[in-house]
Amino acid sequence: MTRKRVLAILLLFLAATGIKAQNVSDLIISEVLPCPDSTGRLDGYGRRSPWVEIMNTSTGTVNFGGCFLTDDRNNLKKSLIPKWDRSTKVGPRQVVLIWASGNSSEGTYYAGIRPEAGKTIYLVSNDGRTIIDSLTIPVGLPAGKSVQKMARDLRQMEFEACEEAGVPSPASPNGNQDSASKAQQMAISDPHGFTLAVVSIAVVFCALAILWFLFWLLFERRAARKAAPAAKRGTPDGEVAAAIALALDMEESGDDYAAIAAALHLYLSESVHDLEPGFVTIRRTPSGWDNKALGFRKLPKE
Amino acid sequence: MEQIFRSLAQFWEYTGFANADWQNLVMIGIGLIFITLAIVKEWEPMLLVPIGFGMIVGNIPMFPGLNIGVYEDGSVLNILYQGVRQGWYPPLIFLGIGAMTDFSALISQPRLILIGAAAQMGIFGAYLLALLFGFAPNEAGAIGIIGGADGPTAIFLSSKLAPDLMGAIAVSAYSYMALVPVIQKPIMLLLTTDKERRIRMPVPRTVSQKEKIIFPIVGFLITAFIVPSGLPLLGMLFFGNLLKESGVTRRLAETARGPLIDVVTTLIGLTVGASTQADKFITVRSLLIFGLGLLSFVIATMSGVLFVKLMNLFIKNPSKKINPLIGNAGVSAVPDSARVSETVGREIDPGNHLLMHAMGPNVAGVIGSAVAAGILLSFLG
Repeated sequence: MTRKRVLAILLLFLAATGIKAQNVSDLIISEVLPCPDSTGRLDGYGRRSPWVEIMNTSTGTVNFGGCFLTDDRNNLKKSLIPKWDRSTKVGPRQVVLIWASGNSSEGTYYAGIRPEAGKTIYLVSNDGRTIIDSLTIPVGLPAGKSVQKMARDLRQMEFEACEEAGVPSPASPNGNQDSASKAQQMAISDPHGFTLAVVSIAVVFCALAILWFLFWLLFERRAARKAAPAAKRGTPDGEVAAAIALALDMEESGDDYAAIAAALHLYLSESVHDLEPGFVTIRRTPSGWDNKALGFRKLPKE
Repeated sequence: MEQIFRSLAQFWEYTGFANADWQNLVMIGIGLIFITLAIVKEWEPMLLVPIGFGMIVGNIPMFPGLNIGVYEDGSVLNILYQGVRQGWYPPLIFLGIGAMTDFSALISQPRLILIGAAAQMGIFGAYLLALLFGFAPNEAGAIGIIGGADGPTAIFLSSKLAPDLMGAIAVSAYSYMALVPVIQKPIMLLLTTDKERRIRMPVPRTVSQKEKIIFPIVGFLITAFIVPSGLPLLGMLFFGNLLKESGVTRRLAETARGPLIDVVTTLIGLTVGASTQADKFITVRSLLIFGLGLLSFVIATMSGVLFVKLMNLFIKNPSKKINPLIGNAGVSAVPDSARVSETVGREIDPGNHLLMHAMGPNVAGVIGSAVAAGILLSFLG
């Protein structure tokens, strides 16, 4: 029992770890502004600090507390995002702005890094080893311009780093929100619908064929294997058939026929004791009809 | 006195008589026909009575702005209609279907599952035809699903892909489901020979409880991993079946297949009927949808029957041949299409019972249409 409990707890722990890791891996560095100009956004201390924008591309809430931001590949734990802070949760497909003021003690949303042209900013998982995402700041990026990852279609959440410097868009997702719907894209790429029809039929067949194969493998094949020897046993061979025919010829009363039928039933249901030419010998199978123990009444437990 | 007349005149403007339109009267007439067919002919009364009455409710001419119509935000009918609009009635119906479906026929003869896949060709045949008639791909997908012969799936998909066409699609799907015996029989007779109709299939083996419990779990995992977009339907279908087969959740299963499905069927029927308001329903596009829906049923039935004939070409053992009359049951109108197989089979050979065999492809059709809906949703949603 204890072993089972330990196993269950271990499995739960592993599952929880897996879920956390999977969630954190949905984060990306979507935008970095290394050198703000006079139009830049003010931080909580009234300064125009550089900033790093982190986006949650998943459809669930992700807690990025305990993760790290760094601009040094050899020091992945450079700036810790505080753990156990309720405000470190980022909603589905939402962004959060971290001020890269160079002093992480200024608050939860302040990192101890200074983004500069030519540097790469890394987002590191809460294990301190796994790099979740990175974004390189191009050399010669003008002041007031940011480096971004853009999505061609924000519904798909597939981001690519932009080559060109972009106009900063702090705290808002970067990407095309008015792109063509899937149906509109399909109308262009497959106007007659043949591709979709063929692919869809193939997928339906595959899904159901896999089900068929699995159930054939798991159950039908085993059932057929079990049935084969039973069927073999249940078929009287030539000698047995001859013995039955002789017995039926000799006997005339209904009782005799009933006895032969009962014997045959037992024979066909594997109750044969041994095989002798011309004889059908049935093993005695006690029914327990006179077993006194079966007649005892069960008393309720106190 | 003048004040009284003025009030009466004002009241007259609020009555249905003053706001009546010939289109409303046509729709009320169609609703009455549905109710008559359900009561006199007993064609799918559980569906046609609520839909028929819903049509009458939705087409009572009224003065706009009273906040009582199905399309007016916050009205009682509108709140009930959200189950259709947002697509949360169909999964609840699938929960009930799962809790009342016995998959034994399918588990004992897994090869019959492929017939359920073949019959889904009706969906994609109708999709191609709808594109040909100028419908947009998302609308064509929603129209095509009528061929799955599954009302809840049709409502679920059309609410996601083409909400404007949902009324026509839902009514078309349910109408043709009620007409399954009329549509399928001539096609089955046309495509089969007398010898094929007399094929007797071996008695299916007994299925153990363990197999019945494993089926919904394995079935769900495989289908949901392949088509995650079908999750609401597939998840509820297999969950309902697990409740039934687990043997330890009898009360939950009974609720799902009893009171729950009854309540949701009543609401879905009434609100779908009410959504067919004349101005939105009596259009050329609705007529086209009805035509395409019929064609999709025909293609689905033909595909199922012809696929069985194809399978028979590869089955060498004569005792293991499949009667093509069960091919029609690949559409998921449970259990009506299986009953058609039984009826037509017994007309030719009174001792040949095909119902048990036809239930295999029939329940496979339910899975197949949910998978097909998931695929269409992922491509066009």
